[in-house]
Amino acid sequence: MAPPGSETAALLDLVARQTTPLTLAHEQTLPVLPVLEGLLPGGALRRGSTVEIHGIGATSLALALAAKPSAAGSWTALVGVPSIGLMAAGEAGLSLNRLFVVRPPTPGSWSGVVASLVGSVDVIVVAGGRRAGNGDLRRLTARLRERGSVLIRVGDTPWISGSSKATSGNGADVRMRIVSSKWEGLGDGHGVLRRRCVEVRADGRGASARPRSAQLFLPGSNGAPEPVELASVAQLRVS
Amino acid sequence: MDDPVRTLVAWCPDWPVVAMGRSLDQPVAVVASNRVVAASRAARMAGVARGQRRRAAQAACADLEVLSRDESIEARCFEPVLASLDDLTPRIEVVRPGTCAFAVRGPSRYFGGDAAVVEGVVQRMTEVVGSRTDVRVGVADGPFAAGLAARLADPVKLVEAGGVAGFLSPMSVTVLEHPELCDVLIRLGITTLGAFAELPASNVIGRFGSAGVEAHRLAAGLDPYPPEARSPGPDWSVSAEIDPPANRVDRVAFCARGLADELHGRLAAEGVACVRVAIEAETEHGEVLLRLWRHEGALSAAAVADRVRWQLDGWLNGSAVSRPSGGISRLALMSDEVIPATGRQLGFWGGETEADERAARVAARLQGQLGIDSVMVPELRGGREASQQVELVSAATVELRGRSIQPESNESAPWPGGLPVPSPARVPVDPVAAELLDGDGRPVIVSGRGAVSGRPARLAVGGRSAEVEAWAGPWPVDERWWDPGSHRRRARFQVLTDDGSAHLLSLEGGRWWITATWD
Repeated sequence: MAPPGSETAALLDLVARQTTPLTLAHEQTLPVLPVLEGLLPGGALRRGSTVEIHGIGATSLALALAAKPSAAGSWTALVGVPSIGLMAAGEAGLSLNRLFVVRPPTPGSWSGVVASLVGSVDVIVVAGGRRAGNGDLRRLTARLRERGSVLIRVGDTPWISGSSKATSGNGADVRMRIVSSKWEGLGDGHGVLRRRCVEVRADGRGASARPRSAQLFLPGSNGAPEPVELASVAQLRVS
Repeated sequence: MDDPVRTLVAWCPDWPVVAMGRSLDQPVAVVASNRVVAASRAARMAGVARGQRRRAAQAACADLEVLSRDESIEARCFEPVLASLDDLTPRIEVVRPGTCAFAVRGPSRYFGGDAAVVEGVVQRMTEVVGSRTDVRVGVADGPFAAGLAARLADPVKLVEAGGVAGFLSPMSVTVLEHPELCDVLIRLGITTLGAFAELPASNVIGRFGSAGVEAHRLAAGLDPYPPEARSPGPDWSVSAEIDPPANRVDRVAFCARGLADELHGRLAAEGVACVRVAIEAETEHGEVLLRLWRHEGALSAAAVADRVRWQLDGWLNGSAVSRPSGGISRLALMSDEVIPATGRQLGFWGGETEADERAARVAARLQGQLGIDSVMVPELRGGREASQQVELVSAATVELRGRSIQPESNESAPWPGGLPVPSPARVPVDPVAAELLDGDGRPVIVSGRGAVSGRPARLAVGGRSAEVEAWAGPWPVDERWWDPGSHRRRARFQVLTDDGSAHLLSLEGGRWWITATWD
């Protein structure tokens, strides 16, 4: 027998379901590789968000984040990073068929170039650019939210110029830092770089405020990121 | 109404080469998007073929001259050839620069038979083309069969009325110019057009979709589009006055772009696509130039705008005799023949998507703003170094929609001495100078026999230095020793420093360089 009021509750539930927009904001996401799901709220990249990555291995992590959307049919643009290893990008899982490498005319003009790409390209990776002005960046983040692209920034230089007080509202939505990394395979005069075990910590604003961390092989032995647990299980079986 | 229109196709072989002003006896290849689109006779003898990559073509023929394609020059050079046929028939359609077609029924009644028309065409075109290339003419029921007849002509091939099916049936299915379809058909054991035409049409549409049905109708010697396709509406034309009259091609082309978009929008609203467009330009003195352009697929807005530009280029910059006496004051586009638009959808064989379309548009916009080299896309190349394996080419030179890059056999071939996976995530455009020191502070060197002078202990880059934690090497490479100009000899090391960064170092000419970093 149903408890009293359950009919009302069911009715309310029905009304709620029928009045929800077709896709909620948090449903508009881009998938990520399973090994990276633990680092992001909801296990996916929210469209319109910005991600900042620091530490040694930041480039590999940025490529790994872009890999799943790219394989699923999204385009990726690398802005201001002519030095990125495109073989590594392909090994990480990015589709080289859907990849732009864009050179801004001056290092300071990256934000204008990114603004043009937003909406047409789903994942935009920026590195090495100078700081952007506060106003430029606010406009850019607003445009990102409106058009639903994801901006990933690699590097240790701060996001924006100006004092921290004026810019406190403008940080990245998700900040990732590689806190430790350990290579396997290379010895003293022998061996070869095989894979690297990294620990990534993520925090940020809003839904990403709760700190998260994950351990993974980045890159794994075939170039793509691999989970640590499975790898160690495999090792146990071998030994 | 199902009978195809009896058509004459006149073809000047190797037109892209001829238009560039080269002789067919020189080894010349014209490339677009890094693929050979046309080659001279001499180059073909040496093994250059259409569709080959530029590098493969150069490998086949060492003294090959490679030219990049310029369709506006091709169209401009073809304009006098077309003008010479104007007194035979007013309705000549250009299939592409180098190939034109017209319905032959009217002219052959007037001149007394197909043979007389063909003779007239050959004579007039040969007068203009001269010894640059030859002229081949084919006549058959329908443009497809006529085009094939022209390809087989020596220099004339007439397929009598009603004999198209017999003419087509022994031909290979590859003449359909539909590589994916042909691939499947050949694997199914259907190698000739006759065998393909015998398949029931309902089974073909079930298996291959609308593209397959068009090919099937072609193979059977029918018109590719069912009869109801041709009922051009009354107002599927757009025109614009140009005031003041324009003498320059770019001003008219700018106007044409807007008109093409408008026409395209109007057709799309009706659910049709345009396969033949008439472009009419009128000067302030009342001279009128009309040309028909045909395309096997549907013409997009950009394709129509391109054709307007080529045509006006040929007219305004042509010889003094044919040049109009005044500026162009009116431009009109008429969609002369339409087919139901099948819409954009993911084809049976994959292909373009909405995302590709948006990406291609943004690439074009950025290239317009920042320069042609600002947006690059990767192409796979062979090589031992991370910097050689992928090359960036301008996005303007490749087709971005439904792109699929595949390594060719020589690129995926094993490269002994190549680096194992994982590949480095950072490959500096210019290698960074570094110093690798041993425990005593002396630079590490490698002897001619590949022996390392000491254990690497410190890596110094630009004033900063780090302890070496692990290392491996040397991996010597001796490349292109047969060519003193590009001979490179170096030894490579993987080095891991105590700050956690791993580098690929290269010792070349006694100096250390960081050529890549595993970031």
